Order: sequence, then structure tokens, then C-alpha cells
Amino acid sequence: MNLFRFALDNLYRRPARSGLTVSAISLGIAAVVALTSIAWGFEASWQKANDARGTDLIVTRIASQNSMPSPFIAAKVQDALGRLPHVKEVVGLLSEMLTVSEEAPPAFVFGWVYGSYLWDHLRLVDGRWPADSDEAVVMVGSLASEMLHKKTGDQVEIEGQVFNVAGVFESSAVVENGAVIMTLNRAQALTDKPGKVNFLNIKLDAGASEADLAYIKEQVKKTMPGFLAITSGELVGNNAIVRISKAMSNATILIATLVGALVVFNTMLMSINERTREIGILLALGWQRATIIKLVFTEAMLLSLLGGVIGILLGAGLAVGLEHLELMRGKIDAIFSIPFLFAVLGLSVLLGIFGGLYPALKASRLLPSAALRHE
Amino acid sequence: MANTQLIRINGITLYFDGGQTRALNGVDLTIQEGEFVAIVGASGSGKSSLLNVIGTLDTPTAGEIYFRDQAYSTIRDASLFRRENFGFIFQDFHLIPTLSALDNVIVPTIGCEGRGHKARAQALLSSLVLQDRLNHFPGKLSGGERQRVAIARSLINQPRVILADEPTGSLDSANAQQVLDLLTQVVKEQGLTLIMVTHDASVSARADRIVHMRDGCVEQAQGALA
Repeated sequence: MNLFRFALDNLYRRPARSGLTVSAISLGIAAVVALTSIAWGFEASWQKANDARGTDLIVTRIASQNSMPSPFIAAKVQDALGRLPHVKEVVGLLSEMLTVSEEAPPAFVFGWVYGSYLWDHLRLVDGRWPADSDEAVVMVGSLASEMLHKKTGDQVEIEGQVFNVAGVFESSAVVENGAVIMTLNRAQALTDKPGKVNFLNIKLDAGASEADLAYIKEQVKKTMPGFLAITSGELVGNNAIVRISKAMSNATILIATLVGALVVFNTMLMSINERTREIGILLALGWQRATIIKLVFTEAMLLSLLGGVIGILLGAGLAVGLEHLELMRGKIDAIFSIPFLFAVLGLSVLLGIFGGLYPALKASRLLPSAALRHE
Repeated sequence: MANTQLIRINGITLYFDGGQTRALNGVDLTIQEGEFVAIVGASGSGKSSLLNVIGTLDTPTAGEIYFRDQAYSTIRDASLFRRENFGFIFQDFHLIPTLSALDNVIVPTIGCEGRGHKARAQALLSSLVLQDRLNHFPGKLSGGERQRVAIARSLINQPRVILADEPTGSLDSANAQQVLDLLTQVVKEQGLTLIMVTHDASVSARADRIVHMRDGCVEQAQGALA
């Protein structure tokens, strides 16, 4: 028998209350884990897509912080960009969320310049690539193929136009695996946006340094009013959806911390009130006040840590479940890193500290004789 | 029995309820080392209050108590002092229902340094004829057995004084007799001082001295050292 076992026994003696407290903490932690992993995953997934393409800089409109910024005429700046030092390639990209099948939720449809470096990182799983920049065919990602039930040779109808599926590809980025890709020309024609793109992707030559990158960014700022050159990390970080999802996950962390601490506080306070006489007995038996504080803290910590561990498992399960939900497939890619999981466990410890502090002090300040007389 | 003064109580007064209720009123008493003192009196006469102030569970409003010439008012850590010197036995046993007899005896040692608490608890329970009940929970023990577990618990920290508040009050006469026999035997073997609150004349008759209390005062002391 030691303090830990005694604390465990005290929780075991009140299974309903302990169970309800652990459940409440678990739900809060699960919400934190699910929302945060999805918010971070959302950001990481887009960054991974940009990184996989080998893009060094992205030029977009200054006001565009949406995940799909409003399109602009590429010719306005494309030539000027191509003349900047170390710029190897400047290619346009048009991106839209469109209905590809009546049976599936909307999917990302990308229009990429035919023959550009954007295609290089994709791996052909089946079929062939588009033959030229005007061929009315689409390539479907492996996940999109599964969701849309379309394979090489099938037809898809997008915005009233029929396209043949030329092949199926695979990418290291989930958002691309869940997408449909066609040549930029076909995408511009499909969406009635001739000559327009959402982004201009810049690939620099091998000799470009960080200073060259900074110079290009500065030149775009100076010479191309209304446009901004940023890295993929900056683009994703400024993205309104990423910001909103991060704000939501932060708000959830705050709410879960407050609610969790209050739940632990309430449970421990009720437990202390019920056990006033028992605490009096322990004091009479020679327990020191510091030992009483340790006991209450240990109980609070056990509740919050158990809630934390269950919450992590529940939250991870929830996030993975959401990833596989028909509506979300191919759009989110939840991330669980070891530091993040430790941070969540740290949050659980904070719940125990905040929730257990006052009850522990209250219990330690009980007068033994008054506690023994307590009915 | 040695005639060494262990506890000296000088003019102790104790008020409860913010001064509304007077539990003790100028109590003077001296207790010798190894003595068995029975405190008797009607309900509300201050018996348990006197036991509580001796055991440092309550702080007197006025007066002073000395333990081997150390004034209680100079004690810095009352919990440690209590643990080192006093063992408590209650009328209602106050065992923890979800712990075995053995674990109940070990509970007072939680937070104490040192080893061998378990072996000592086993030895104490065996000396109180509970060697077959070590892993039994309180709900599976008779009243007499529960009180014997409580006695073992009071002895685990090797105190100098046992403070017993009506330890046979919840037992039938046969069990009461057995518990009392074992308690007095252990106390005698270990040379401890026993201060017992009781209503039972047959119990108090076995004490070295009987202290009668009335309205918070020591009315009369009888016995060898009276």
C-alpha cells in the first residue's frame, strides 16, 4: 500500500463519478486532438502538394487569402516574372472545386500547363498522360478514382462537359490524390476563364540562393502592383481557411481546458466534502498535511491523465474517421506528431493541476477534530 | 508501571462554535508513563474533547499541555508530533471499506520514510489473532475483528500513547471483553500509556485510574495515582 495505490483505490470506490469525470475530460481532449490534427493536417497537406510539385515561389493576388484565390490574367505578369534572375519556369495553375459526379461530393479540379514541371512528381498508375494541351481528357487521382468510381476509359461529366479518363495517378499529397487534373487550356475553357489562373508557380534554377528568392519577392512587390510572391509555406499560413481552422482548434483547446479543469475541480471538491470525516481520520492517524495534498493531487492527476489518454485515442479515431468520411476524403490529412501528443498529455496534467489545487488545499486545511465530528 | 510524568495538563479550556459552546473548563490532569487512565462521564461532559486536545486534534483556547515537558504551544509540526506519539482508536472503527485488513493497518505509514511497514503490520495483526484475516475486507470481518484491526492500525507507527474513544462501545460484551483483553495486553507488553474514554463501568474498572468528568471539568480522580 502506497499513496498511488490509495489514490487509485479512492477513485475506484466511486466508479460512477470517476467514470463520468474521465468521460468529460476524454471528450474535451478528443475534440482538441481531432480539430487540431485536422487543422494542422489541412495546412500540411496543401504545403506538401506545393512542395511535391517543386515550386519555389508562388505569385498570387495580394488580397487572395482564400484556398482558391480569385483568378487573374496570367499574361499580365508571366513574361516579366520569366525575365527575373534564376527563374527557370513560370507556369499557371487554375484550381476549382467542382461537381464531378452526382454520387460523390465536389472534388478539386486542377488545370495545369501541359508539359510543365507540375506534372513531374505524379506517378502514373494506369492509362496514359494527356497527349497535348487541348485534349479533352482528365487524369484522376487514385483516391478520386475510388470515390468517383471512375477508371481509365470511363467518362466524367464536369459542368456539363464530358471528358474521357485518360489515366489514374498517385501523388504524395492527399489533396492531389483526391483531385481531378486536366490541362490548363481545358480547365480555362471549362470554367469560362480564358487566360486566367489562380497562381503562377515559379521554379528556380539549381544555383538560386535564399538571397535570390528574397530579391525576386522584392521585385514582384516593387514592379507588379497588386501581386505578391510568397513561398508555399507562407501561402498556406496566410490561407483564410487554415487560419480559421487553427483559430477554431485554439478556441477548442481553451474551452476544453476550462471545462476540463472545472470538471476535475467539481469532482475533487465533492469528493473532499464527502470524505471530510475520512480525512479527519487520516490526520488523526498521523498523516501530514503535505500527504493529504499529494493524495488529492494524485487523484486529480489520475483522472485527468486517464481522460487525456482516452481522449487522445478517441480524438485520433475521430480524425481518422473524418478522413474517411465520404464528404472529407481527399481533402484532409490529419497529422499526429509525438510532440503534439505529449503536448495534449501536458494539457491533461494542467487540468489536474488547475482542478485539483483548491480541493487539495481545502482538504489539507481541515481541522482534524472538526473533520472527525463531520456527519 | 514507571512513575514518570508523561503528560501534564494545566488549566485547559476549550470553546467550540466560535466561543458559543464550552467543552472544557479549566482541566488540570497529570498522566504517568505506562498508566491506563479511563475517562468517564455523561455524554457532553467533555471526555472526547479532552482526548482530542491531548492528541493534538484540537487546540485549547486557554491553558497549556506538556508532553515530557514540551509545551504543545511550541510544537511546530502537530501532524508529525501526533504520528510519533499517539495512536487513535475510535468507537466506530473507521476502517476504509475497500482496503484489506492489512492495508488498513498500513495506511498511517503512507508518506512515512522507512521500510518494513508491511512486515510490522502483519506481525501486529498476528499478535491480535488476525493472522487468518490479513486479506479480508472490513465488510467480511466481525465487529470485534474490525476493532482489533483498528488497534493494530493505532500501533503501526509505534506511538507512546494510545488514545481510545469508547473502543468497545459498538461491540457485544463477549467481543468487548476480548478486544479489551488484547488491547491491555499489547499496551502492557509494549509499555504504552493508554487513555480511554468509556461509559462502561466494567471497562473503567480495569484502569489504573478513573477520571470522572462533568460539564467540562475533572470532577474526581480515583485510583493508584489519583
